[in-house]
Amino acid sequence: MSAKVPRNFRLLEELEMGEKGLSADGCSYGLEDSDDVMMSNWNATILGPPHSVYENRIYSLKIYCGSEYPDEPPSVSFISKINLPGVDQRTGRVDLSKLARVAQWSRNFTMEKILVALREHMAHPNCRKLPQPPEGTEF
Amino acid sequence: MANLPKRIIKETQRLTEEPVPGINAVPHEDNLRYFDVSIHGPSQSPYEGGIFRLELFLPEDYPMCPPKIRFLTKIYHPNIDRLGRICLDVLKSNWSPALQIRTILLSIQALLGAPNPDDPLANDVAQKWKEDEKTAIETARQWTRTHAMS
Repeated sequence: MSAKVPRNFRLLEELEMGEKGLSADGCSYGLEDSDDVMMSNWNATILGPPHSVYENRIYSLKIYCGSEYPDEPPSVSFISKINLPGVDQRTGRVDLSKLARVAQWSRNFTMEKILVALREHMAHPNCRKLPQPPEGTEF
Repeated sequence: MANLPKRIIKETQRLTEEPVPGINAVPHEDNLRYFDVSIHGPSQSPYEGGIFRLELFLPEDYPMCPPKIRFLTKIYHPNIDRLGRICLDVLKSNWSPALQIRTILLSIQALLGAPNPDDPLANDVAQKWKEDEKTAIETARQWTRTHAMS
């Protein structure tokens, strides 16, 4: 059995990945408050994928990692308004069970993996041509 | 946690049976590689009287790689950043498997007694420390009273 990395040390690793700019193409994330020792609240952005209605738009999101993270998934919400299946049209909250790659949550998954899965979802043939609210609007 | 290495079991036992004065380290019941730590601020330092909480984790490759450790209690110190991360050579390049949890915790306690603003992690604090050491030490005392004495 391998060592189980506790929540806070896992989040420190993710923070360092994000700070070094090692996050995947088109995704970035960081702490909302750099003084937050519990590292619960995060900001993230997704650059709209090419060849889609989202292209050239920057989408802001917020992520909350609770005390049970990463055993439990974080909660993820769009701040920028977006019309995308799996995103609550009143609150912007993302239903992770609608994202194939992360629907079956594992503690090895990261915030970055969720962002990458969302960006792929936006580029999916069923999603990439959906009519979108004007750029710059928020939930 | 069936396969906890003997080395970790021994270190844990010794920490409990022969505790280091002013230092306390207790493993979590559900993760024996994860410790709740408290360190008393050394006397004659601006941290005197404070009890500082830390967390420590022994990664899979321990002792080939160093433990991971950070402060949970807020502390004003040039080698400790706002998230409690510590800049200390023995936690990085100068780590050796001959070192132990015990020696690392003693090094951290010593670091509280001897801040090193020339090798800073918290740049704003280090700058203050160099420009106006008296005020910096007073701020460190205040933070100790506010965050480490409740």
